[in-house]
Amino acid sequence: MDQITLETRKVSIEFPGVKALSDVDFQVSTGEIRALVGANGAGKSTLMKVLAGANPSYQGEVLLNGEVVELRDPSAAKKLGIQIVYQEVDTALIPTLSVAENVMLNDTVMNTRGRPVINWSKMRQEAREVLGRLNIKNINARTLVQDLSLAQKQMVLIARAIQSQCSFLILDEPTAPLSDTETVELFRIVRHLRDTENIGVIFISHRIHEIIQICHQYTVMRNGEIVGTRDVTAETTSKEIVEMMLGRTFEENFPKEQVKLGEEFFEVKDLAGGDGKVNGVSIHMKRGEIIGIAGLVGAGKSEFCKTLFGGYKQTGGEIILNGKRLKIKTPSDAVRERIALVPEERRKEGVLVNEDVSFNLSAASLGKFCVASFVNKAKTDANARKYVEQLGIKTPSIRQWVRNLSGGNQQKVAVGKWLAADCDVYIFDEPTKGVDVGAKQDIFRLIYDIAKAGNGVIYASCENSELLSITDRVYVMYDGRIMAELVTADTSEDEIMHYSVGGTTAYVKA
Amino acid sequence: MQTLEKNSTQKVLHFLLDWAAVIALVLCFVVFTALKGSFFMSPGNMVNILLAMSITTVFGIAATVTMAPDGFDMSACTLASCSAYVFVSMYLWYGLSLFMSIVMCIVVTLIMYQLTMFLILVCKIPDMLATCALMFVHQGLGQWYIGGGAVSTGMRVPHTGAAPARTALSEAFSNIGRSPYIIIIMLACVLAAFIFLNYTKHGRFLYAMGGNKQAAKLSGINVKKYRYLAGMITAVFIAIGGIMVAARGSSAQVGCCDNYLMQALAAVFVGRSVGGAEKPNALGTLVGAMLVSTLENGLTICAVPYYILPAVKGAVLALALMAAYAGKKEQ
Repeated sequence: MDQITLETRKVSIEFPGVKALSDVDFQVSTGEIRALVGANGAGKSTLMKVLAGANPSYQGEVLLNGEVVELRDPSAAKKLGIQIVYQEVDTALIPTLSVAENVMLNDTVMNTRGRPVINWSKMRQEAREVLGRLNIKNINARTLVQDLSLAQKQMVLIARAIQSQCSFLILDEPTAPLSDTETVELFRIVRHLRDTENIGVIFISHRIHEIIQICHQYTVMRNGEIVGTRDVTAETTSKEIVEMMLGRTFEENFPKEQVKLGEEFFEVKDLAGGDGKVNGVSIHMKRGEIIGIAGLVGAGKSEFCKTLFGGYKQTGGEIILNGKRLKIKTPSDAVRERIALVPEERRKEGVLVNEDVSFNLSAASLGKFCVASFVNKAKTDANARKYVEQLGIKTPSIRQWVRNLSGGNQQKVAVGKWLAADCDVYIFDEPTKGVDVGAKQDIFRLIYDIAKAGNGVIYASCENSELLSITDRVYVMYDGRIMAELVTADTSEDEIMHYSVGGTTAYVKA
Repeated sequence: MQTLEKNSTQKVLHFLLDWAAVIALVLCFVVFTALKGSFFMSPGNMVNILLAMSITTVFGIAATVTMAPDGFDMSACTLASCSAYVFVSMYLWYGLSLFMSIVMCIVVTLIMYQLTMFLILVCKIPDMLATCALMFVHQGLGQWYIGGGAVSTGMRVPHTGAAPARTALSEAFSNIGRSPYIIIIMLACVLAAFIFLNYTKHGRFLYAMGGNKQAAKLSGINVKKYRYLAGMITAVFIAIGGIMVAARGSSAQVGCCDNYLMQALAAVFVGRSVGGAEKPNALGTLVGAMLVSTLENGLTICAVPYYILPAVKGAVLALALMAAYAGKKEQ
């Protein structure tokens, strides 16, 4: 099989006021798996969009096998065999159509001139063949895409990408929403594609250990420039990659602060609910304590958090706060009992993107700023200024709409809203998802401050290293149940993983 | 420098789009004054415009309150017809005082609105579909109540055939439909909705729900309660609208309010972007209704035949909406 090389020479992109890419020289060949890493805003996605033809205004040249090609629109890139699977899989799929139709979508749209009638059996057969090339057997071509899991949707998109001519496949953060078994399956498919179809895969990810696992080489970007490209060897460590990303040495573990623990004040007994995904969870917590909820994606962590908060119907068990048994049917009940939730999907659930910073920061406690139901603007603004300063929210003004803030700053707004509400129990569901390393540390600091003030924090995350660096105790969930309660100081990532995958026997230290 | 210049032209464009409805309104005034200055700008004609827009505005306000939390009500104006039947029948057939007739009308409308809320909140039918079905229910129930004919002076009570308690409408009854009272009622409705939506926490919560229902719910806002509240307020405005129509027409004709729905919705959509609010808002609705009514008035004065008026009106509305939604995609 011939090797094809894709190369950019001095590619630059300027948005008003910002240089998103400056003179980027990047090269990748078929048959290799290349990682592209960098902090948020480093220009990874912008560069990939250039290659996919979605950024028509680039300066510089893109060369395919040494010949200059123009990638000024997505169909040009597709014709040259450059396919991209974006992070938000739902934006590229049509949920009400079947798997076969979605896989064959490009073909149906582009190649059906003069053939107005759809040949269903042929389409299904072709879709099945494409899925077969990926060695995927658990997806029925007749199923509607809306009934698939996220991982399966991703498979459908990859199938669509290789259905048409494909020499380069760009995967933009494909593993972010996947569980570990699903990630393994994805990796298998990626390797399979490289081996059988000689495809060059460009792999964007924030999860450094995955890159070490699967990629041959990694390219690091920072501030719109390429910092360097190195081979992945047995000696490659995540610390070295992170340091290249940040351009400075990085203290990998956030310094653990000791918070003085108070009395037991919060207890959950045999909680059930979450649409059947929470089956008898019991936890207890002292004032000032940070407890972690570990577990793989699908273990029921989010459902547990939301059930505590009244977002899902509670079907059994009890919640006791300060000796009082709580009846929580809706989130507004939970807020009244001073429980706060910073949800996982922050744009969809955590902040009101079309309202300004000031309103967002008072949304959970607006009653406090009212006189006879009338909002006192001066008070809400003072509240907003206080938290913008205290949390270091980067915004030009408190009148700025939240949708214009960066992801990390939106997360701070989502947290700040609850600080203003002055709660007892703070639940964080994957608070560092999609947040870069710098903002992550700000969020950790914030969580410590909450604990220091004598509140309890529940921290649910699938990043075990984070749980180890920030919590006092960790509960490991599996299949809607608590498998183990571990003291953070005496445990390890391996032990958490042992219970996360359903280990029922006691963990034996290696 | 270049980026700065680009920014300032963008700003001007944004300003123009944000105020498109107001600019269109001013343009209408300028054009009609140039064409038929003395007559168009006369105080009498200004009052005409306000009179004509008053009912549309009140229905528009009802729609604004429903749409603030991202609700929708297609059956608002068929329900208003029922309100009008109840209002006039209470007054004529059963001889209630004017005040009591108004109270009864509002109470019955609120009760009828429970059905809307039941379908939307308990049965969880999407607003559009639920109210589409209710449109027919309102029409049928209302006409059953009035026996298929209009409620006006000199008609016998259907079903029983008894003579009506009153044979004439009082001066106060008719005044509701006349200037300046009807205009005052309209302005009061706009002001009340404006204050409620913008300055109370309830109003802010409704807008929060309209922006992102899930996020609003997870902020601890009781979304069902607030959707219900919005529905009840809508019902009151619907009843007021029905009363205005009946007073203006000195009777409750069959389906007398039905045709106001599209105009009211147009007023809300045109007003949505006024001042960059990007949400249904009371002042925007007022501007939208005024634009529709000014156009109608001006074109009539310019002797445009009445039967092609809707086409012109629709075209100008489409233009205003184009401006309002033109800037949307960029962001």
